[in-house]
Amino acid sequence: MKFHNLFVVALCFFTASITSAHEGDCPYCKLKLVQNTPEQDNEVVLRFGNKKIEYRCIFCVFKDQKRYKGDLVVYAPSEKVGEPVILKRTDGKWTAPEGAVFLNSFKKHVDCAALSRAFSSSAAYEAYVKKNDLKETKAFTLLEFIDFVVKPAK
Amino acid sequence: MIALLGLVLSAGFGQDRLPPVPPDLPSWIRAKGMDELYYKSAPYNWSINRIPKFARDMYATGVGHSMAYEALASGREAELETTTFERINRILKNPPRLPVDEMALSPTFVRKYGYLEKVFDWAHTLHFQTIDVLAYPGWSDSRKEQELEELWSFYQSEPYALTGLPMNMEYLDSFPYSKGFRQKYPKVNGLFWGYHWLQTVNYDMLYRVPTADQAAQYEVIGERYREVELYDETRDFMPMTAELSPRFAKRFPQLANAFDNLHMLHDNVNDILSQPGLTDLQREQQIQIAIYRVLDSTHRGESEDTLRPNSLHDHRHPPSMPGMGMMVGSDEDEMYMSGMGWMNMSECGHCSVPMPEEEPWGATVTADGWTMSVRCLMCARDMASETPGRAIIRAATEDPKKLLILVSDEEGNWKPNLPNVVFLEKFGEHPDCSGWSRAFTNDSALKQYLVANPEYAGMPGLNLSAWSKLNQGKPDTYRRIDRPNPYKRGGNK
Repeated sequence: MKFHNLFVVALCFFTASITSAHEGDCPYCKLKLVQNTPEQDNEVVLRFGNKKIEYRCIFCVFKDQKRYKGDLVVYAPSEKVGEPVILKRTDGKWTAPEGAVFLNSFKKHVDCAALSRAFSSSAAYEAYVKKNDLKETKAFTLLEFIDFVVKPAK
Repeated sequence: MIALLGLVLSAGFGQDRLPPVPPDLPSWIRAKGMDELYYKSAPYNWSINRIPKFARDMYATGVGHSMAYEALASGREAELETTTFERINRILKNPPRLPVDEMALSPTFVRKYGYLEKVFDWAHTLHFQTIDVLAYPGWSDSRKEQELEELWSFYQSEPYALTGLPMNMEYLDSFPYSKGFRQKYPKVNGLFWGYHWLQTVNYDMLYRVPTADQAAQYEVIGERYREVELYDETRDFMPMTAELSPRFAKRFPQLANAFDNLHMLHDNVNDILSQPGLTDLQREQQIQIAIYRVLDSTHRGESEDTLRPNSLHDHRHPPSMPGMGMMVGSDEDEMYMSGMGWMNMSECGHCSVPMPEEEPWGATVTADGWTMSVRCLMCARDMASETPGRAIIRAATEDPKKLLILVSDEEGNWKPNLPNVVFLEKFGEHPDCSGWSRAFTNDSALKQYLVANPEYAGMPGLNLSAWSKLNQGKPDTYRRIDRPNPYKRGGNK
């Protein structure tokens, strides 16, 4: 990703974070939560029983999932406003809608909300990669994404 | 020769900036010998044992203090983060069933600094007797409140009493030796602040809570204490009573301030004892000065109106919280809370609307190591549901004598202390939320409320199960205070 494009994306998120309501910190990475904008959803919501907990990105959700003993539903913001990709963990097994793909290409965690995302289709993923001029990225399936995220650091 | 060596070692430390011994240092501080004081005679003594896990954890805090002080006073500070930490940790994981005589565990410390032990011991007695009063099943809430006033007078009758006035915490933590211990010995400092977390979070667990409903809360609080707070090395500043028990601190500011002043004295002493380059005499003098600063006798005749900002006699407090001195970066009611960021203590932690000044007073939420005041049951539930882990809600009902206590599991399933509790929730404008989001002890109380408030006529009462499943999302009134962490140089965390 070219630096100026990443900067624009990051600035967009930062601007959102100081103008929207009820910002907290991500339970996993402790960075500020990134709020939705009219153009793009960013809020990742994990549902656990009656709990409704916000994370900064889907990477953080999967890193933190072990703390929850039971079934989970994750509303992962997608390329469409108001239409999250819904991920479920039932009896320990994760599932995603057919065709959903995932991006995880941030180098610094501060960029995670822009670069760790879900898409409803490969076409939507490709459009996002092209729009943001992202280089050396890969479209993960859910299981590939989880495997990539939870593997031990080198 | 040793003194000369001390001077050489302290050359880079700036000993010339050490505070001078005040001329009016009380004579008892220089007196040798012990002065054993005992509890005020009362029927409530040892009621803490009604909550056995809590009592044992509290008794272990005394052991932890003593072992660390003995290591510091006997020149074994190099072992603090290893051998001493492990020894203390074994006790914390297997806490004693009875209180342990701290002096028996720290003979060197007591021999060198017996005057300090008198101050600590007397304040710890106040800590424990306050708990005993609140945990005693034999008295009404009003009788307990009366007794706490009497207990405070009893405490103040001794020369070792700490002031109940708010003190400027930034000032008290600003000496040449300040902050050294937490930087050099983060693990043991974490234990100290963990003890102080437990010693301050418990008062809202007990205050005006029926004794039958106190132990259930400790299941949540004790777990948090043992698994997280004792080992937290990231906290920016010591836990404050008003931060963790806001209701108690507002009602008994003199007690809350005395506990905070005690805990700051602990921090000062830790910093002095672990500061290299001080001679034994300098160490002794600086400890005596640290005691002097927070003694009741030093501030006699002063009041909260004695305004000398950022000085020893700065007794300002946030307007909405008389039970807390001014903190680093504090501005009126705004303070920085570790784990929560900047908060305004006069406002609801969830919707940012000012807290009600009349009844119902609202609720508090304890979760993830913090306690926040909120305006209504909806704010309490939604704030808890946004937070991972177990939680406690303490909330007003239509009956000022009946507090609703809700304790949740990890999934946000609530258990109430009032079996017939019923809720009203007619979502509307947040500034009115304390009107349309309330708890009632029973259905008949709700009906009476609906008759008296026709704007809610026809609203059904919600049982706990239905109410628990609601979530009204982010309040449109919420306002985040976007300022950097004042404890970290150069910006936010």
